[in-house]
Amino acid sequence: MTQTIIWTIAIITLLGVLLAVVLYLVAKKFKVEEDPRIEEVEKVLPGANCGGCGHAGCHAFATSCVGASSLDNNFCPVGGNETMKKVAAVLGMEVKEKAPMVAVVRCNGTCENRPRTNEYGGYASCRVKSALYCGDTGCLYGCLGCGDCVAACAFGAISMDPATGLPVVDEEKCTACGACVKACPKGVIELRNKGPRGMRVYVQCINKEKGGVARKACKVACIGCGKCAKVCAHDAITIANNLAYIDFTKCKLCRKCVAECPTGALVAVNFPVPKAKPAAPVAPAAAKVEKPAGAVSVKEAPAALASEKKTVETKEEQK
Amino acid sequence: MKKTFSIGGVHPNDSKISSGCRIEVLPVPGTVYVSMLQHLGAMANPVVAVGDKVKVGQVIGEPSGFISAFVHSPVSGTVKSIGPRKDLAGWNITHVEIEVEGDEWAEGIDLSDTLVTEIPQDTKAILDKIKLNGVVGLGGATFPAHVKLCPPPGKKAECLILNGAECEPYLTSDNRIMIERSKEIVVGAAIMKYVLGGCPAVIGIEENKPEAIAAMKAAVAELQANAKGYDGISVMVLKKKYPQGGEKQLIDAVMHRQVKSMGLPIDVGAVVQNVATSLAVYEAVQKNKPLITNTLTVTGDCLPMERQHNYLFRIGTPLSFIIDQMGGIPEAAVKVVSGGPMMGKAIVNLDATTVKGSSSLLFLTAAQTVRKEQGNCIRCGKCAEACPMGLEPFLLNKLAKNRMMDELEENAVHDCIECGCCLYTCPANIPLLDVIRIAKGDVIKIIRGRQAAARAAAEAAKAAEAAKAAEPAKVAEPAKK
Repeated sequence: MTQTIIWTIAIITLLGVLLAVVLYLVAKKFKVEEDPRIEEVEKVLPGANCGGCGHAGCHAFATSCVGASSLDNNFCPVGGNETMKKVAAVLGMEVKEKAPMVAVVRCNGTCENRPRTNEYGGYASCRVKSALYCGDTGCLYGCLGCGDCVAACAFGAISMDPATGLPVVDEEKCTACGACVKACPKGVIELRNKGPRGMRVYVQCINKEKGGVARKACKVACIGCGKCAKVCAHDAITIANNLAYIDFTKCKLCRKCVAECPTGALVAVNFPVPKAKPAAPVAPAAAKVEKPAGAVSVKEAPAALASEKKTVETKEEQK
Repeated sequence: MKKTFSIGGVHPNDSKISSGCRIEVLPVPGTVYVSMLQHLGAMANPVVAVGDKVKVGQVIGEPSGFISAFVHSPVSGTVKSIGPRKDLAGWNITHVEIEVEGDEWAEGIDLSDTLVTEIPQDTKAILDKIKLNGVVGLGGATFPAHVKLCPPPGKKAECLILNGAECEPYLTSDNRIMIERSKEIVVGAAIMKYVLGGCPAVIGIEENKPEAIAAMKAAVAELQANAKGYDGISVMVLKKKYPQGGEKQLIDAVMHRQVKSMGLPIDVGAVVQNVATSLAVYEAVQKNKPLITNTLTVTGDCLPMERQHNYLFRIGTPLSFIIDQMGGIPEAAVKVVSGGPMMGKAIVNLDATTVKGSSSLLFLTAAQTVRKEQGNCIRCGKCAEACPMGLEPFLLNKLAKNRMMDELEENAVHDCIECGCCLYTCPANIPLLDVIRIAKGDVIKIIRGRQAAARAAAEAAKAAEAAKAAEPAKVAEPAKK
């Protein structure tokens, strides 16, 4: 009896030692050589595997960084400049700073501004909807409101506002990975410069139809009148296809265009709310221009921020 | 034993309510809007200017590519405007607006009712007439007819199949023309048969249209007895099964041949044309009449019998005009569909106009249109059983949701004919077709891109070779000097 136990232990020990030797030799023989820097780079990356950099994941991005001669073509939008500095430190390379970006929804076609012309009863997906027809409003270009961008966001930064039917971007959470930009079949979302303290001026419309048609479909459509381009001293605004576009690399945030816009398609967000007294002269100045829409939208900005926070909760409900 | 296609298919209630309604000629409206995109392919270029006087049958749009078609004026009058107008899905398409004045036809169009049975013995002249008269396939895809009737070199048509299946529920326009204009259709078939080199022609009709079957059989027998060139035309009665009217399914049912993935019917020696196309070919070739009219069914469960219609309409007639003529939208209707309930498209814009391929105005009630609550896939395999192309919709749906393009291509998503059998049969109400249709588009784009890249690479290789061949010559030249 004792002998059996001793033999068993001996044989199994021997077998273990033998196999360990075999495994060791095999591991030596077939070892995959990988640049140890890849692992080091990967450690400083966010590890979200979002694909915002254009690579399949963080590991692929690290491999690409290590293999590249400079970091100019590699940028991790999620980690931003800080992460890229760390990556550069690991690899001993230099990195150019990039201005932080944020996803911007360029449509303000809320239920009030853009009346519904028909009822969509199909599958709730923007891609499916846009493949079927023009959408349930008179606007062929605007947001379809089925939330493909919400589903695409890996960081929970986008949520649908049930009151407006439009997506809202949480600037704190948005990493500018660009997943929502790719997911939107209408091209409503754009990555724009985040701006100092989040202050941005942009055209909240992408309707390329003639002014009258666009305005009929949506109260706050850009009609391509060109007033903003005329007033801009920095040559930042271009008008093409009946639509104004602000080049954020040239825009100096003077907000002259915002006051000029007759439909309120141009908006400025995150600017400090003007105090009650200085606001008074601004309002009549804006009133001279057909409608005081510009001034209204400036005031709207903080309200929009507040609603963003609210909608984070509603997103969970939707799930 | 009646024939049908071998795999898949569903049996929806056929609801051919208006099959007994005679074709009525719809009055000409005061203004028509003629779309420049009434066919598959490139948009036609308008060739008239604002203020021009046009006659019925005059060319107002010319094709802008190989796969494109002529567009003719359906009315006589003055061109009021040329510009974008919303089609029935809400997209902007160039339309020519014509204010109607009288009804003056262009010269050379035979307006008499006499049946011309003698087939012109000149293939090129026939094809030219079909092309110049803007005939497109009226089975749904509106593919230019003359392109289909010219098989590519090296391929020969062995059978012309006339599609009289009309497998979509509710639609009855093909049924009516087969009953009322059967002889013209048979002459059209004989013309196309002649163009294709005298191959046999089979008219496939589903068993639920006994009147049409009898009429077509009588017409074929009469013409075979009295005129030349009608041998080899026969009527085949098919079992009732959706989507029998699909090109590949009809070939399978009639010839027992399967078109391979990404292949064309001509690969297996078949050419399929709709019976309405055949009628248009007859009018184009024998009467020199362009394709400016078509038959449209106005139907729906919510319409009483006396409001069911089959109209012969002028192309470009606004849908709202047709609705006025039939007495307004019924109260119970919540959705108007152009085409059948399986593959038709919901109309979002009733100011849109009819086009060459318009086949119906179908009014659906709330109960018929509401989507039931979506459940989870229980892997019952009903969709795979129903798919007439032998695909696995449940798998494609999953792959499409995960955007797995390589796997989607391996599973032949590009073979989907969008018939909707999977969606119809799914007990969990999963929107299979909606998702698969998107994936199909993406995969086809990838395949086309790859083919274009391969072509470009081959050309580049050729150019490089040519350059190599030219190089020694260049080197040799200075040596001579």
